[in-house]
Amino acid sequence: MPEGQWFYVLVCLAGVFLSSVSQVMLKKAAQKNHKSVLAEYLNPLVIVAYLIFFGTTVISVWAYKGLPLSLGPVLETTGYIYITLFGVLLFKEKLNAKRLLALGLIIAGVLVCAL
Amino acid sequence: MNPVTGDGAKPQWRVYLALHILMLVYSMAPVCMKQAGRYPTFSLYFCLFFALSILILGAYALLWQQILKRLQLTTAYANKAVTVVWGLVWGIVLFGEVITLKKCIGIAIVLAGVILYSLSEHAGKEAPHA
Repeated sequence: MPEGQWFYVLVCLAGVFLSSVSQVMLKKAAQKNHKSVLAEYLNPLVIVAYLIFFGTTVISVWAYKGLPLSLGPVLETTGYIYITLFGVLLFKEKLNAKRLLALGLIIAGVLVCAL
Repeated sequence: MNPVTGDGAKPQWRVYLALHILMLVYSMAPVCMKQAGRYPTFSLYFCLFFALSILILGAYALLWQQILKRLQLTTAYANKAVTVVWGLVWGIVLFGEVITLKKCIGIAIVLAGVILYSLSEHAGKEAPHA
């Protein structure tokens, strides 16, 4: 990998993490009962989630300044790691061997691509 | 068998076609982001491509929900892996990127991981939005 590319890889990974955070916030908001359809969208959790989502798009544009396009979607698959983590910690989802193996493959593949 | 609708044997080629057209359109979002970054920040073309990428992501979010209504979750998420391949194709075709064998192997491993992940879903449970 070219010398200056590492910085942009980290920028991209940070963006993917933030994007996962916004997804989790939207899921949390979706689990709550809202008084009206309007309240489903106009509540602090959802608004902040969409602001973060918008922010991650800006971060992506920044990251792509130094990253090849072909690496972007690969790095985005690291989102599965955070989503799994949040699922276990916040939504009491169960881990299974298949899923851990899948995450291992994703991490290994990303490393092979990026290193 | 599809645990949601119970019609596992029924061919759903229209939904698959729609899903893959959606994936193709979705794969243009990073293309627009990359293109935006090639122009000075806040210049006309920067704003144009940035707005286009937001538009694509918004339309994608709405249409993806429709796909999920019509297709088994695991199947939908397994097919989503194709966006990694589109990134590779657009990188080569539109931005003249050189792809090494190492990268191809890495992408193949990532694809296997994403597909295995979608297969690890418990039937009837909501898949995470990664």
